[in-house]
Amino acid sequence: MHGGGFSRRDIHRMARSAGRRSNARRPDVEMTILEEVPAELQEQLEDLLDREEDIKIAISTDLQFDGTYGKDWVLATEKRLLAFNQNGAPGPEIQNIALETIDQIEIRELHGNNFMKVRTSDSAFEIARYSKRFVPKFAEATPEIELLIDKVKPEETDKSKRHRKYVDPGKNKIRCETCGRPIPRWSDVCPNCVEKGKLLFRLIKYVVPFLKVFVPALLIMGVIRLVGVYPPILGQQLIDNVLIPATIAIDGGQSVDPGAFGQLVTIVLMMLGVHVFTAVFSAVRGYMMTWVGQRITLTLRNDAYRHMSVLSLDFYQQRETGNLMSRITQDVGRLRDFIAEGLQDIIGDSMALVFMCIIMFAYSWQLALWVLLPIPLIVLFSFYFGHKMHKVFHVLWRRYAGISTILASTIPGIRVVKAFTREKYEVDRFQEQTHQVFEGEMNAAKLWTLYQPIMTFLTYIGTVLIWLIGGRQILNGELTLGEITLFMTYMTQFLQPVRTLAQMNRRFLRAATSAERVFEILDTPPSVASHKDAIDFPNMRGQVEFRDVFFSYDGEKNAINGISFTAKQGEMIGLVGHSGAGKSTLINLVTRFYDPNEGEILIDGYDSRDIELKSLRGQIGVVLQEPFLFEGSVADNIGYGKPGASRQEIVAAAKAANAHDFIVKFPDGYDTTVGERGVRVSGGERQRISIARAILKNPRILILDEATSSVDTETESRIQEALGRLIQGRTVFAIAHRLSTLKHSNRLVVLKEGEIDEIGTHEELIAKGGTYANLCDKQTELSKIRAW
Amino acid sequence: MEQPIRIEDEVQFLDPKLLKISRNQFGELEAELPDGSIHAPVEPVRTFPLTQPNQYISLLDTHKNELGLIEDISQLKKADQTILAEELKKCYFMPKITKIHFIAGRFGVTEWEADTEVGSVSFDLRSRNDITTLAGGRILIKDIDGNRYEIDNYHRLDPKSITLLETQI
Repeated sequence: MHGGGFSRRDIHRMARSAGRRSNARRPDVEMTILEEVPAELQEQLEDLLDREEDIKIAISTDLQFDGTYGKDWVLATEKRLLAFNQNGAPGPEIQNIALETIDQIEIRELHGNNFMKVRTSDSAFEIARYSKRFVPKFAEATPEIELLIDKVKPEETDKSKRHRKYVDPGKNKIRCETCGRPIPRWSDVCPNCVEKGKLLFRLIKYVVPFLKVFVPALLIMGVIRLVGVYPPILGQQLIDNVLIPATIAIDGGQSVDPGAFGQLVTIVLMMLGVHVFTAVFSAVRGYMMTWVGQRITLTLRNDAYRHMSVLSLDFYQQRETGNLMSRITQDVGRLRDFIAEGLQDIIGDSMALVFMCIIMFAYSWQLALWVLLPIPLIVLFSFYFGHKMHKVFHVLWRRYAGISTILASTIPGIRVVKAFTREKYEVDRFQEQTHQVFEGEMNAAKLWTLYQPIMTFLTYIGTVLIWLIGGRQILNGELTLGEITLFMTYMTQFLQPVRTLAQMNRRFLRAATSAERVFEILDTPPSVASHKDAIDFPNMRGQVEFRDVFFSYDGEKNAINGISFTAKQGEMIGLVGHSGAGKSTLINLVTRFYDPNEGEILIDGYDSRDIELKSLRGQIGVVLQEPFLFEGSVADNIGYGKPGASRQEIVAAAKAANAHDFIVKFPDGYDTTVGERGVRVSGGERQRISIARAILKNPRILILDEATSSVDTETESRIQEALGRLIQGRTVFAIAHRLSTLKHSNRLVVLKEGEIDEIGTHEELIAKGGTYANLCDKQTELSKIRAW
Repeated sequence: MEQPIRIEDEVQFLDPKLLKISRNQFGELEAELPDGSIHAPVEPVRTFPLTQPNQYISLLDTHKNELGLIEDISQLKKADQTILAEELKKCYFMPKITKIHFIAGRFGVTEWEADTEVGSVSFDLRSRNDITTLAGGRILIKDIDGNRYEIDNYHRLDPKSITLLETQI
């Protein structure tokens, strides 16, 4: 945005004057913290800086202190911090702050803008104001300035007030890395930078196994299109060679050629033959191409899902469920449409157009030119109209969505509506919305009712031109009646392929974007995987040791900040702490949903990364706060972790989990369908089914994540009892807000901001009178109230 | 018999005559409450930022606990009023758009170029959902970076701006 580059504004201007957007737009926020300082500042700098003083950081703002848009500067050298603030004045006001006087640099994050502030021991200065667009740049510069300060006064650094090194947000980017354009919300790849050619080439690889069907289908289509242009020629011959001579003969009082009827029948039979041929082979081709398309869908969909199941949790964390689902369902479908239909349509329609043009030009090139004249008009009109229609329908779609919103909130909320007697208000609101839909529909109707007549008119221009020009040629003896009929027929046949091809670009683009989204899944390597020398470890004892473990989800804030402790075989460890203290993260590391950034987790003395994932997870059981039941029977859900479990085992597990009694009360017993579309199972019941699932798996290491938090006291005691059986002889990590859940624990680990605050038995921690003791006091008070 | 609570009693405004607002040596907002306690830095928060920007201002301490509510800043002493208004203007930066020069979109992303009361600006929106239309033609816009802009009543803009805008709302 300085020096030789184009500013965004330049490009806007260029684009507007060129009538379309430039493709060569550069990122408008350059993530450099050493920008090129303009000449007029350079001059002033010479007076301000000592000899051999280097500018280490130079960043510009987009706001001035008076709240107007404008460019101020913040510069840092190894000695000082300089701020140039224009504020509408001709020369900038300069703040010159020696680094050794600086205590702290603060970033004030406010609504719509941020301030950078420097604090000294007795004063403070605001040195920059910038909009949210420059947040990454300033976040990157701040720790760098702090490093400079630290160098000046290494002895008195208070690291706690320092800013963390700025880390790239990674996958959730809002702007494309290559072109700088925003990435639309519906996508997570930049549609501008999708390499269409390369992607489509890659798609062809999926066609290759089916070439023996794909190619013949393509050939058949070529033949169909070629044969398809023949009937008008037959018509022309019928008129010119049979009918006209006969008419002339009759007019002249002569008898008609006796062979004429035979010729008539031959030609009509040929016409019929062509149509039968086309119909039969179209059907065959359609079937073949559907087969190819569906085979490709099958392969692609299964490949994508198989690979997705291998991918680690962080992949899922960074993406919305709906987004991933649509890749497997919609995007794959769109690719099939493109390969099976789009691609062949494009080839076929182009062929048909070329054939028709060749024939028309062969008959009369002058007339052919006239016929083609309205075509650009029709294309332009389709484009323009499509654009307009899209807008109108979008508005309409939003208004319909408004109706759904009202219904979706008032039908479930009807008790509130009635209790507050707001029926009339809701009816009025609904009527207003339906009225808007009515208006939207009428707007759409206005357009639609116009579209058909205009399209017909444009086509009719072609027809009229043929009559006019062709008619004159007939009068001059340059054209025959049959030929003019041929042109008429082609005129109508022309429209369909023209319209298809007009939309070609959009189809290409959609397919390429879909391909990118599907291939992104296939190209992502799992971040947690077994390496090839990983050991199989079937007889785990279950000792878990954390050794200086550090972990961060985003690279910005450590969720686990140096944790070391050992859970002995068969020991139950209770994890306590506020939400965000790192309890769940610790558990995610044990199960290897994530791997630590630093340090290691040893299981029976082996680094967990050296153990085959399947073998490791095969011996870890989990009971979660909101247990997930899959679509299927109760028995299926209990047996999920142990394929081929016998009925006896399943019932035994259910009994151990205190689940048997309520399961037998279901009309369908263990065959009751649960899950999304199954019967509603209460939270406590679900919890016990999931405990049975864990018992059956018989894991060495067990994880209880808030297993009793969402149930009533009565149910809790039943679950407690079941858990008591489950934990025997296993190494257990239990998270709970209700400390009573942790009463079986051998030791408690109190976490605070990713670090171990306290560790010890319940009695030890109570005696210590620290965080845990405090927490216990509060809960005892609460439980008094909760007692009933 | 016990009376139901009077909800009027639940809101206690800071007495504007007893409240003092100033800046300390670090340029931070300092508040002396009617009870004589002094707090700094104090963060002013608009409780109705869109509808009542100058009324019901909440004062928060460094732990984000509310020190009290100011009913209307115009009740404060002139000098205090100026300081508070100045701070609020900093804390809430939402330029008013006066003219739209250019809107173009592709793939649902739109690029805008507009004049505001504080200079001209260009920004990007990630989807139409980033534009909120309120009663009376008022429009709120949130750009891709989290910056916000508003239009008082878009019907009062020039015809070209209206045409451009209407393709988006």
